[in-house]
Amino acid sequence: MSTDVMIHADNLTKMFGSLTALDRVSFDVRRGEVVGFLGPNGAGKSTTMRILTCFISPTAGTAKIHGFDVFDQPLEVRKKLGYLPQRAPLYHDMTVWSYLEFCAAVREIDGSEFKKRLKKSAEICGIAQVLGKDIRTLSHGYRQRVGLAQALIHDPPILILDEPTSDLDPNEKTEVINYIREIGRERTVLLSTHNLSEVESACARAVIVSKGRVVADGTLDDIRAKSGRTRYVVSVHEKKAQGDQVAPTAQQVADALSSIVGVSTVRETPSDDTTHTFTLQAAGDVDVRSDIFQLMVDKGWLLIELHRDAQSLGDVFRDLTKSESRMARGFRAEPEEDEEDEEDEDEDEDQDEDEDDSDEEEDEKS
Amino acid sequence: MKGTLAIAGREFRSYFYSPLAYVVICVGLFLLGIFFFLFRGGFWQIDRASFDRMFQYGALGLSLFIIPVITMRLLAEEKRSGTLEMLITLPVKDTEVILGKYLGALGLVLVLLLGTALYPIFMFGWPWNLGPLDPGPVLAGYLGLILFSAAAIAIGLMVSAFTESQTVAFFITFVALLILHNLSTIGEFAPGAIGEFLRVLSFDTNLQKFARGLIDTRNVIYFLSITGLCLVMAFRTLESRKWS
Ligand SMILES: Nc1ncnc2c1ncn2[C@@H]1O[C@H](COP(=O)(O)OP(=O)(O)OP(=O)(O)O)[C@@H](O)[C@H]1O
Ligand SMILES: [Mg+2]
Repeated sequence: MSTDVMIHADNLTKMFGSLTALDRVSFDVRRGEVVGFLGPNGAGKSTTMRILTCFISPTAGTAKIHGFDVFDQPLEVRKKLGYLPQRAPLYHDMTVWSYLEFCAAVREIDGSEFKKRLKKSAEICGIAQVLGKDIRTLSHGYRQRVGLAQALIHDPPILILDEPTSDLDPNEKTEVINYIREIGRERTVLLSTHNLSEVESACARAVIVSKGRVVADGTLDDIRAKSGRTRYVVSVHEKKAQGDQVAPTAQQVADALSSIVGVSTVRETPSDDTTHTFTLQAAGDVDVRSDIFQLMVDKGWLLIELHRDAQSLGDVFRDLTKSESRMARGFRAEPEEDEEDEEDEDEDEDQDEDEDDSDEEEDEKS
Repeated sequence: MKGTLAIAGREFRSYFYSPLAYVVICVGLFLLGIFFFLFRGGFWQIDRASFDRMFQYGALGLSLFIIPVITMRLLAEEKRSGTLEMLITLPVKDTEVILGKYLGALGLVLVLLLGTALYPIFMFGWPWNLGPLDPGPVLAGYLGLILFSAAAIAIGLMVSAFTESQTVAFFITFVALLILHNLSTIGEFAPGAIGEFLRVLSFDTNLQKFARGLIDTRNVIYFLSITGLCLVMAFRTLESRKWS
């Protein structure tokens, strides 16, 4: 295991009685990464985080934080961690200052050091003006900030934050996410949230869990491409070709594209009369763009446009986590609007419907 | 160790964030005052027999109200509100959490007992001077009360570890302490060996000698082992969350 791996979960399994909350969950988080930890309600995000922070023990499997085993060296693990539990539970009868002072005292940070740290984390979390207030009197957003400040007070190399932005108003959400992005420059962060746009703005990588299993783990781009429905849009010039080659017919292009390994369907899309435009579907785990480009070069055709039509994270999330319940309930969630490719939206709309229908058939068959 | 002290300090101070500590201390001083001054003549009538009863009823007073109230929230409230998760994930051992909570609660009771020490001082020092006091029985009686409180608080802490409800914790502790006080009375109705056994396990039996000014190691060991046992149980219960 590389020393760069800050959080290492290895086949974590957790049973609550007969309920399997986690089923062989494995993932790594490296130094300097901000990783989004996603999943629907009850997927096991909080359970995983509680295991990583040594609050509960896994039924099977191991985890290491900063190289320390969560079972054998819980104190070392906790020293390296800043943890914000879901709902940010705090002692309501204390003032913000005395609460943070308490956390620092338990962490054996002495007075002068504490003042320095307090100043810094109060600045980052924007709580400087509420330090003297009773926690009871704070708005929920401020409580969550205090929870965040508590997690930062000892300047930990690793942060585990369980829904730090739930229940915040949109302004506060953005602010907190900005803090996290700022914090994440020097630290390793595992962040759970239900808000996918937060993940897109703060994280480079995500781990998606569903029903206690990891269903996706990778960079956001990889995950977007992972759903098995990755679409490519290819446009080839209809009139011209390289040098003295003849321009291809639509059928020729379609046949050539179909022959590429990994491409499942090729469909012509209506376009202006200078190009043949095709939409391909390819298996999610291979990137066929280079193959397409190579094909064009070999044939001497003029490639006008080639892009991978990445789905939004929300689509993928739904695909990965909802497919079973969707089938069980016999309905399909409305497609979320595609944030990346707004231009293509209108053109592709008819196409979308066809595709989705065929998808549904596939789903039903399997 | 620092962790234990920090937790104990927070716990102790947190009693004063709410009216609880003030109510407990006032009611405690009042109740104990009644026993000291009024019960069967109290200090006004200095004889050994009344000392004996006085300390026992002092202990009963602690059991009936003060200790269940002080201990009910220790862990139950932390579990209910979720702050336990925050506390446990600080770099402290579970034993330190238990010990810190325990010492915090014990601290408050000690403050209360210290307050009641004013009564004998008033009686025999200033402003009244009822003559020379033999300090032996008083000191022994106080030692008994302190040891008793140590055990009773450990019981309350253990009960608080079992449940998420302060109310449930209060009543279970209340009933458990009441039974432990009266085991000797119950023992009178039980035949031979069982009766004797119950008598030996009773709070009241074990407080008797202290109140008479005698420090018997068996009584000391009795209270200390209850304390130890309950703290270990509380620790195990806290730890069991990991495996639930
Ligand atoms: N202490 C517990 N006892 C029994 N079951 C539990 C316990 N804690 C969690 N579970 C179960 O484990 C599963 C995973 O819960 P978990 O809290 O990890 O989900 P989550 O991904 O954090 O969900 P959410 O997004 O709603 O916070 C759920 O089915 C939950 O009911
Ligand atoms: Mg959760």
